[in-house]
Amino acid sequence: MIKLLWFELYKIFRRPRTYISFGIVTAITSVIQLAMLSDGESFVNFAMQGINEQFEIQGRIMNGYLIGYIILQSLLIHIPLLVALVAGDSLAGEANLGTLRLILTRPISRHQLILVKFISSFIYTTLLIIWLAVCALFFSLWLFGTGDMINLKSDAFILILKDDLMWRYGAAFLFAMLAMTTIASLAIFLSAFADNAIGPIISTMGVVVVLTILSNLELPLFNLVKPYLFTTHMIGWKGFFDDPVPYEAIRRSCFVLVAYTIGFLGMTMLYFNKKDIRS
Amino acid sequence: MIRTFAILLCAVFFCNASFAGGDANQLYEALRKKIFQVKDYQALVEMKIEVNYMRIPQLTGKLYFKSPDKMRLERTGGLSILPKKNINLTLSNLIPSGQVVVMDAGYAMLNGKKVRVMKIVPELDAGDIVLTKMWIDEESLLAMRTETTTRNDGTVIMEMQYAAYAQYALPDRVTIFMDLKDYKLPKGVTLDYNQSADLKPKKKTENQKGNIQIKYLKYEINKGLSDAVFNQKN
Repeated sequence: MIKLLWFELYKIFRRPRTYISFGIVTAITSVIQLAMLSDGESFVNFAMQGINEQFEIQGRIMNGYLIGYIILQSLLIHIPLLVALVAGDSLAGEANLGTLRLILTRPISRHQLILVKFISSFIYTTLLIIWLAVCALFFSLWLFGTGDMINLKSDAFILILKDDLMWRYGAAFLFAMLAMTTIASLAIFLSAFADNAIGPIISTMGVVVVLTILSNLELPLFNLVKPYLFTTHMIGWKGFFDDPVPYEAIRRSCFVLVAYTIGFLGMTMLYFNKKDIRS
Repeated sequence: MIRTFAILLCAVFFCNASFAGGDANQLYEALRKKIFQVKDYQALVEMKIEVNYMRIPQLTGKLYFKSPDKMRLERTGGLSILPKKNINLTLSNLIPSGQVVVMDAGYAMLNGKKVRVMKIVPELDAGDIVLTKMWIDEESLLAMRTETTTRNDGTVIMEMQYAAYAQYALPDRVTIFMDLKDYKLPKGVTLDYNQSADLKPKKKTENQKGNIQIKYLKYEINKGLSDAVFNQKN
């Protein structure tokens, strides 16, 4: 199985498409950092006008921690697409190339194949999040320096001291890995139904977009289903930047995401086991 | 010996009680003179901001003040948060400058101590202060509490506790209570993690109260602070 995993990883990282994701992460973070370097002050002043009316804040507001947070905020909407690019291709891509049948002639079970596909997608997701951490946080710290971080919520202004930030980022990135793993498992699940990678990739994004809209719409009709949508819990990483940190809510979100991941994986195995593979 | 002691006792009594029951104008002027003897200071401070919508840990830093209204909190590498200029953290900014009308409002008990209450109204309309009410300890010639009504920033209440620097009318602990406007950003912009909304739903009000508690650990007074200190960025 380890050998199979190596083959999977080799296939993933041999494809130029894989590196497009890393390139996109680099490009987006660079663009945001450049924009913040040139006109960050007016962006911050706009966001803080309610606070600035009453308080005078001195010091380096535009520091690497704040920029990292802004980038994370915007990128965790786009990262699912990059994860789906690889995970959605895992089974459907093989079916499209006609290699799925060939693989299954080897002495491995279908369960093992799904598991290997999932682990390889998880490794890819982890590397993507690590690269995101390097670009969004460490490059921003290098460009903008350190300092206390301001977190603006809809009803709260939170100040986090700089010595109290690194562990929060570590925890947030770990949480992001879990959230993106759920997306990867969804993409693998949808990939099992298709013979072409485009379908699962677009379907994954479609599901994420629709559910994200449902999660963020403030309508009583959707409030009943919101706690059960994985998109509601995907932004749980933000909880680490709250004060006090809502550990119970984060634990609940982790549980929901793990349950979805296992659920998608289980359904993939269930379906794939019975699938008539013709290519 | 007894006569000398009696004279000394009388002298101390008359010095301390020189304003007791005396002219409110004189008392106010003496207090103002005492407050304004401090031209500048720098002090190590611990600051706690308690506002309903703000979650800020205790901030430590160095507070610089230069008369009449320059103030800066220095926190090396960190952010400092101060109320807007017209709600300054020093007493000298919460009592009207220039010609004033002093009205005696009698005596009141404050924290178990009898204090003189007076209202001060500036003669000119130009400033931001409309009215200041002061609770003054006549014995030590110190303002224990002020209630300042401003033109633009509502009412600011300041309570002081004095110890080592009472001779300069500089407090060791200050609590400032002030009116604040509500704060709200659209949820669509902030994309809140709703699970962490641990704040109890609050009534929608136009204004709310907030307070800032400052503990002064060590003062350096009248050392001649340069203006450049106030222009520096942290």
